[in-house]
Amino acid sequence: MNTPIQSGLMPADSASGTTLHTIVAVMSFLACLTLGAVLTLSHLASEWTEGLSGSVTVQLLPSAQIGPEDQLNEALRLVRQWPGVFEAHPLSRAEAAKLLEPWLGAGNVLEDLPVPQLIEVTLTPGQAVELAGLEHALADGVPGALLDDHKRWNQELASFAASSEAVGWAVLLLIGVATLAIVIFATQAGLQAHREIVEVVHMIGARDVFIATEFQRHFLWLGVRGGLIGFALAAVTLFGSSFWLGAREAPVGAQLLPQFISAPYHYVWLLLVPAATGLIAMGTARMTVLRVLGRMP
Amino acid sequence: MRYGLGPEILRDISFTLEQGSFQLLTGPSGAGKTSLLKLIYLAERPSRGAISMFGREIAITPRDELPALRRRIGVVFQDFRLLDHLTVFENVSLPRRVMGEFETGYRAEVEELLSWVGLGNRLNAKPPTLSGGEKQRVAIARAVVAKPELLLADEPTGNVDPEIGGRIMRLFIELNKLGTSLLIATHDQRIIERLPATRIFQLAEGRLTTAQSAKAKESALPEAKRA
Repeated sequence: MNTPIQSGLMPADSASGTTLHTIVAVMSFLACLTLGAVLTLSHLASEWTEGLSGSVTVQLLPSAQIGPEDQLNEALRLVRQWPGVFEAHPLSRAEAAKLLEPWLGAGNVLEDLPVPQLIEVTLTPGQAVELAGLEHALADGVPGALLDDHKRWNQELASFAASSEAVGWAVLLLIGVATLAIVIFATQAGLQAHREIVEVVHMIGARDVFIATEFQRHFLWLGVRGGLIGFALAAVTLFGSSFWLGAREAPVGAQLLPQFISAPYHYVWLLLVPAATGLIAMGTARMTVLRVLGRMP
Repeated sequence: MRYGLGPEILRDISFTLEQGSFQLLTGPSGAGKTSLLKLIYLAERPSRGAISMFGREIAITPRDELPALRRRIGVVFQDFRLLDHLTVFENVSLPRRVMGEFETGYRAEVEELLSWVGLGNRLNAKPPTLSGGEKQRVAIARAVVAKPELLLADEPTGNVDPEIGGRIMRLFIELNKLGTSLLIATHDQRIIERLPATRIFQLAEGRLTTAQSAKAKESALPEAKRA
């Protein structure tokens, strides 16, 4: 005689379980997208600030007092010997064309445009550099040379990134509260459908903790599974959008947009969402079952 | 006892169920038989009065000690109250499971019990696929599987054929011989006439009267003559 395997007290699949799955998956998807956006903004803010503060640019405007070749050599000599400068790299015409490509498109635009010669200067990390002195030295020693320390850009980008990040956290908070409320509501609705189980098991002598443990285990799994579905959909969306934005077919200018999830470890943070939906469902189930049981003799 | 602000369903009821005794509870539909059983299996609280079970005053027994008392009572519900998503085997073994026992400890007993009530080949079936009579037998098996000290049954032979009804009655008699007290609510004249109940409780309009069963009278007759 075959003995059946003992299953949990809760039905593995039910209409209420499907509804809860769907709701949790949708809320988890939204929460993952928002968290992904916030992490991306946070990452970009620090990347922009670090990138811009670690380098300066020297622009060489055409001058009647000095030839272009002498101007470049003199500027390079001055910059390379300046304390705190790690590297100075003159941009070739091809590199300059690539920089302008997002705005002007590919083509021979540089033939017709008086684009200044640029020198990209990388500063030694952690070393203080006397940039005001370098600016004066360039102005005095190399006609037509200008130093751009990115300060204006840096400040604007930092403040833009900080405000975007704050908005992102606020949206994430709202999504989090909505997710909490909806998961609680859906869990309670699911429990109503299983009230008969609570009553029967209670009447045959089960302790409240036994019943609550059975229910919380069931709803933990429901919450985690729904959360993982939402996470998977969000991960595909974020990865897909990053891939598309980096693709050659993307519209001109799209390459300038930040890539969603620029750091792979951000996906690990997103896994917090299904863990949270599972814990919320589990906690709600436990509290609701104990409250229902508390009303029984 | 009353539900909410409704009329009093049961009033001025006082009786004792002795250990190992056998009682029947009869009365017209709506007389309050099920409500009385609910009070005994601790699913409802009396709106006034006191219930004492297994030497404990229920009104002053802490709530977390009630499950231990419920485990000493087996109940056959009129509407069976089987869990549809569990198999027959799982439904019947539920009382043993909530006691914290492992399947290896009760598997053989549950299988034997189910064979005895004619469901040995339906272990894996789920209640929605069972007939009314089969469901009733599963409900009875679940009520007796933990060898309760008190068995309450609400119309336990209402949906079964005479042969199975006879088996169930024999099961009740065996349990009673082993020391289980029984209180069976029924309309079934076959049970009333054939079971060795010592007392018959009759409920009408919320009040309880007690009568001796025909069998009890028969067995008491020679003694009366001797006296």
